[in-house]
Amino acid sequence: MRFFIRHITDKIFTILTVLSVIMLVAILAVILVPMLRKGLSAIVFNGTIEFRKMQLDLFSRGDIDELKNEDIRSRLYRNKIYETIESFKQNIDSETLSDKAGVIYRNFGKELQRKNIKGAEYQKLRSLSRELRDKLQAVFKSSDKKFIQENISDVLKFKNDIAFKDTSIDGLFVLAEDFASDIEHIDLSRRQQYAASLKELENIITKLLGPNPSLPVPALKMDRYGATRRDIAEKLLNRLLWLEQWQQDSPGKPMKRVITPRAELFAGTEIEPLFNYIRENLDEILVFKPAFYWQYFIDDSTPGHYFGGVWPEILGTVFLTLAAMIFVFPIGIISAAYLAQCQSDNLIIKIIRMAINTLAGVPSIVFGLFGLAFFVLYLMPLFGGPSKPCILTAALTLAVLTLPVMIRASEEAIRSVPQSYVEASLGLGAGKLTTFISVILPAAMPGILTGIILSVSRVAGETAPILFTGAIAFGPTPKSIFDPTRTLSYGSYDIAIGDKLAALVPHNQYGMVATLIMLVFCLNIAAIIMRAKISRKLKGH
Amino acid sequence: MKNNNAQINKEPKTSSRSLALTALEDFNGFAIYHSGRFVLFAVSFNTVLIVLLIFYFVIQQGLPFFKNFDTIEFFTSKQWYPEADNPKFGALSIIFGSLYVTISALLLAVPAAILAAVFLSEIVSHKIRNYVKPVIELLAAIPSVAYGFFAVLVLAPFLQTHFGLSTGTNALNASLILSIMALPTIISVAEDSITAIGRDLREASYGLGATRFETIFKVVIPAAHSGIIAAIVLGMMRAIGETMVVWMASGNANQIPSPWWDLTQSVRTMTATIAGDMGETSKGSPHYQSLFAIGIVLLAMTFLLNIISEYFLASAGKNSRKK
Repeated sequence: MRFFIRHITDKIFTILTVLSVIMLVAILAVILVPMLRKGLSAIVFNGTIEFRKMQLDLFSRGDIDELKNEDIRSRLYRNKIYETIESFKQNIDSETLSDKAGVIYRNFGKELQRKNIKGAEYQKLRSLSRELRDKLQAVFKSSDKKFIQENISDVLKFKNDIAFKDTSIDGLFVLAEDFASDIEHIDLSRRQQYAASLKELENIITKLLGPNPSLPVPALKMDRYGATRRDIAEKLLNRLLWLEQWQQDSPGKPMKRVITPRAELFAGTEIEPLFNYIRENLDEILVFKPAFYWQYFIDDSTPGHYFGGVWPEILGTVFLTLAAMIFVFPIGIISAAYLAQCQSDNLIIKIIRMAINTLAGVPSIVFGLFGLAFFVLYLMPLFGGPSKPCILTAALTLAVLTLPVMIRASEEAIRSVPQSYVEASLGLGAGKLTTFISVILPAAMPGILTGIILSVSRVAGETAPILFTGAIAFGPTPKSIFDPTRTLSYGSYDIAIGDKLAALVPHNQYGMVATLIMLVFCLNIAAIIMRAKISRKLKGH
Repeated sequence: MKNNNAQINKEPKTSSRSLALTALEDFNGFAIYHSGRFVLFAVSFNTVLIVLLIFYFVIQQGLPFFKNFDTIEFFTSKQWYPEADNPKFGALSIIFGSLYVTISALLLAVPAAILAAVFLSEIVSHKIRNYVKPVIELLAAIPSVAYGFFAVLVLAPFLQTHFGLSTGTNALNASLILSIMALPTIISVAEDSITAIGRDLREASYGLGATRFETIFKVVIPAAHSGIIAAIVLGMMRAIGETMVVWMASGNANQIPSPWWDLTQSVRTMTATIAGDMGETSKGSPHYQSLFAIGIVLLAMTFLLNIISEYFLASAGKNSRKK
């Protein structure tokens, strides 16, 4: 029995260890898969005509003629939407209608003057038309159906009056007739409500289809185009079709989400069928086509990363990394050589090792503080430079941060060079320096390269040290190393937390972080493969 | 080669140079050797210089704070109103927040990490191990900002909808991610120290009839304890110094959770306070100095942990060398 329990414990333990490792793999998958999958959707997606318009306007890319054809076909469907909304708007918007009546009345006055009608006749027609106008305006403001019908029939009595024949006052009658036929379906008491709902509807439609072409072009680039991709179009369509409200059944109870069709708000009006129309014709309206937007990696972005890509961020990351490597590479290799070659375990070596370990343990944010206090506020003014965060200070801070990684990897690589190499070289009469440069260094190079790659990936991913020393969320491309820069790492932070606009375009959020992860991973996988090759080679000896 | 042949074909010179060096050559060699060594030393010593500079500059900027404000209040008060007219700098809940997420992260990470280390060093073949190691390396390679991104945009909404929490960015979220980030460090150091235990101990244990579980828990892990402690300390250093994840995922609420075990409340850590507040301060203001003061505390903590880990690593090295 006792043996049985021991046996079972042993098995359970083994299973637990296996589970822990499976969990590691699962964690990696859970973290990476959603981020990379959604990040990929920034590049491969189902693009709309709005996307192609945006590409043509902002980046002059794409086939103009084909886009024109698509646009013409799309317009056929769009115009109906715009017209329906326009006419409905007129009917519920009493002020516009009143203004129209006023304009017609004034035009009529001018017409009378042109026709040289004077005296009593003029006064009569003028007062009569004023009466008609006032009546119509009262009608437009009213919400009492009976009053409206009476007044409109009063107005229409004058329709066949010879005095008004073929004059501009006809417009008033057309207006009155239209209004009479329209309001049959409209609940006038809900006019205010209609106006509010219509405004919201128009907003969503503008976001979905882009601004109405008859209106002036919006100032902001992000407002100039509708949904650029299928997922966003469908999200907007959902918002268009369904109205989400938070309701409370009774005081004290939690709010409940209630979803109703938005069409109900416009029940019985000419807007109602529009919802189905848009849903059924979305394909024709937006002309979906698969898009492979590899230019995501070479495009600049509009504010908030609403449109465009991550080129400035990639460029900034590469600049920073290169600059940091220029500082860290010589110091790292030389220190590693010193540590590896000086076999003596004296006090100085111990102190240097201790310093390397301490440096490796300093929190990255403290590097940021140090970079701010030393490089930005002390060193730059000391050399007469501007005391502001820039690429140089950020690169120096990152170089300091990655120094231990570099030294450790290089030292290990130099130590792993077989002693026989060194002895052979020394035996041939080469000096220590010659041996190091022409024998040890080439043999250790793959290992050192691995160290460099790992440092690069560390530098590219670090955010905290460059928060105060040279990273910005949005700004022009740097012209020299004395300008701050955008980076993938800080950009990933900003696009997730800082930027409210970016929350509207999740594919761009994920695209940025996926680019960063891919960059770091490619470097790391290269390092892993290289190390495997080296260890195989060393085993061969 | 050509050169050599040419030399061989030549008549051997009778006046070949003597093997003994002249005084000048001797001196030159001596000078080159020692000046070369000195250059190597000077460059290598830069690391020490940098560490000293880091300590000097962080302390220099932060020290005025401890002179001008009440140090005791800094460590005991929970009132943190740095921008008020009558500023209050009580960092207790901030320091507590850092320790809180770090320790809860370690509670999650350490058991899993030790199991994984045992798996890698004791149970699987070398071949499988070579497939698992890159996974751990990749986990370590993911930039912290990507972890933070995941915490905010994937994990936080998940926690909010599936566990009915009022906010997804809280101590639980930060601890979960921190534990994932601490895993690779703990696993690799612990695995090294377990592997370093000689075969003789294990074989003696198996020879006495112990199962694998008993061998590992009663022999191997006690023998490797200093390395494992060092691993945990290093993991703790990683977690306490982490900035982006806690800044993005912990909710940044300046409070001590009550009841204290309630992980679903938001907290604020030292690193996040520095990262979040530095942009709003002007150089030399009390707020700016207070952030450097937090930096000093952070630096002191990690330095202490570093010394502890080095002590245990050194004793682990001694233990394994003895065998």
